[in-house]
Amino acid sequence: MNKPALLAGLRRVVGEDFVRTDEDSLAHFGRDTCDLFEPAPSAVVFPDSTQQVRDLVLLANDQALALVPSGGRTGLSGGATATRGEIVVSMERMNAVIGSNPGDRTIECQAGVITAQVHAQAESMGLFYPVDFAASGSSHIGGNVATNAGGVRVIRYGMTRNWVAGLQVVTGAGEILELGKGLVKDNTGYDLRHLMTGSEGTLGIITGATMRLASAPGDAAVMVLGAEQMELLLPVLERFGSAVTVNAFEFFSEQALQQVIEKHRLQRPFETPAPVYALIEFEQANDGDVDAAMNAFEQCVADSLLVDGVISQSSSQAHALWRLREDISATLAHRQPYKNDLSVRVSAVPQFLAGVEAFIEQNYSGFEVLCYGHIGDGNVHLNILRPHGMGLEAFKKTCASISEGLFEMVQRFGGSVSAEHGVGLLKKDSLHYSRSAHELELMRSIKRAFDPAGVLNPGKIFD
Amino acid sequence: MKILVGIKRVVDYNVRIRILPDGSGVDTDGVKMSINPFDEIALEEALRIKEAGNAEEVVVVSIGSDACQQQLRTGLAMGADRAIQVQVDGPVQPLTAARALLKVVEKEQPGLVILGKQAIDDDNNQTGQMLSALWGRPQATFASKVELAGETATVTREVDSGLEVIEVDLPAVITTDLRLNEPRFVKLPDIMKAKRKPLDTLTMDELGVSAENDIQVGHHAPPPQRQRGIMVEDAQQLVDALKERGLL
Repeated sequence: MNKPALLAGLRRVVGEDFVRTDEDSLAHFGRDTCDLFEPAPSAVVFPDSTQQVRDLVLLANDQALALVPSGGRTGLSGGATATRGEIVVSMERMNAVIGSNPGDRTIECQAGVITAQVHAQAESMGLFYPVDFAASGSSHIGGNVATNAGGVRVIRYGMTRNWVAGLQVVTGAGEILELGKGLVKDNTGYDLRHLMTGSEGTLGIITGATMRLASAPGDAAVMVLGAEQMELLLPVLERFGSAVTVNAFEFFSEQALQQVIEKHRLQRPFETPAPVYALIEFEQANDGDVDAAMNAFEQCVADSLLVDGVISQSSSQAHALWRLREDISATLAHRQPYKNDLSVRVSAVPQFLAGVEAFIEQNYSGFEVLCYGHIGDGNVHLNILRPHGMGLEAFKKTCASISEGLFEMVQRFGGSVSAEHGVGLLKKDSLHYSRSAHELELMRSIKRAFDPAGVLNPGKIFD
Repeated sequence: MKILVGIKRVVDYNVRIRILPDGSGVDTDGVKMSINPFDEIALEEALRIKEAGNAEEVVVVSIGSDACQQQLRTGLAMGADRAIQVQVDGPVQPLTAARALLKVVEKEQPGLVILGKQAIDDDNNQTGQMLSALWGRPQATFASKVELAGETATVTREVDSGLEVIEVDLPAVITTDLRLNEPRFVKLPDIMKAKRKPLDTLTMDELGVSAENDIQVGHHAPPPQRQRGIMVEDAQQLVDALKERGLL
């Protein structure tokens, strides 16, 4: 179809004002937070109802168009990137909270509701939406479901998947599905809701989500702890885990901390030198909890697991300590780091990290590698920084070869090459390290069942 | 020199305040409590003065129920040498606080008293000034910079028109503004050590001060709920809407 006819078709569906083709919009909506791919969509459309989304999908089937579902575009694997003239379907206008149900402890949203708004709505009900991460001020709940977003409290609450009570979805064939229907118990065959969760827009476009809410946790206290070695942090977690209810257990290296402190002029947690730090957030329901955590700390110091630590005395201090961890990613962004998002079983993390360290040391000693992540759930973010003087292309190439070595190690540990960032465009060539050929073939046949003409996010996850 | 620092236990800065249904006060049941942020800055400043070699002892004092011992222990963990609790149940108004602090000052003879410029619960901003008047010593309020030299303190004050630099003779009362410093984090090993530092309790009777407040509080009410904003289609509608409300 020629371009004017294509645009006319899109305008008929969403209305004159809601098709954009100006350069700024194409560049803005054509990419997510992974900036390794050049955006090149042919148009951006802004539907305002499930019906309009369905009409767009039907048009795409009819005219052999490719659609890229688009939320807050905070993904890190290029899953929402349009590089091949696709139509970006932005869910921005579908941003209404439809209703909340305190009895069911659920909240029903259109897909474009911002995650932070879900937090606020839950709070106003005296409840709690537990999935949280640095980008929650701009990410969409629909995108969270489509990527099965994780974040900082996975150790206590799990990933987004655990909180999806129901979904409204338009499949690649243009069928509207109501999945889950908010039921707590529903053993009636395959649970398609879970197939949709984490499918990265390749099976259907999520237009609405009913999210489950948790009881509001008690006040939280935050500690930042220093250790001599990464592998000592797991026994630390064990001790704290048996003393208090742990909401989050994160780690970062001294190099990562230095970057954040310099960039934002933040206060060091303490002066005692430590190569690695753990941030632990735990529930402080009463004074006994702090005493129990203090005892755990004393034990850890007595056993030479920790060298020093601080504890927040107010919620502003808790926030200030969290910044040391949460600001790392944004602080590094201008250096265009090559990001790896790996996971192994929690118990294997220290051994895995030791292996990674030795591997980098042996093969790429000139590179600055910054480690941080959610050690409590086995998820490690390795950021490789571009050495000064090395071109971007040469850097990407070297990183690709580093990754191969890393991924082989991940495979040996039975780990995942993408713990929470998804596959998108960035990880699809590496998928085979985590998934068998037979699994990949099954995934392809599932894709065909939902999206026979291949109009939804083609080229993402696999070709 | 000895520095006396006042700290008050208040509802945490980030807590959304709820008024009790009968309007008799603010609901503090199960609510997170912290050191008043301005008092935390006051303590940090005192500790920095001591660390720079310009003071030998930092004493924290709080007027309140036994619960405020928690905040005093935090002060000790931050680095104060001793703590004094003036035991009072129920709310304490600025004049009562200033009278009690005066007695503590007479007892301790500090060379400098540092207080927060106001407590974030009642926002009175009076105690420091009242103490200065009762004590008959100079005051330097809203400090954003403090420099000590011999018997004087040079204090930069945040005032409406900008910054004002004044010199006061010691002993004096300084009250802190937000930009004075950033309080340190409390180290865990120091919390253990703080348990062994002295914390003395005095009663208002022992100080010879009446705990009666001079002002009777009638009623508490939450601010009226803000009305939802409206969306207008264009500039004309905006102008009309503003005119309708008599704003143009």
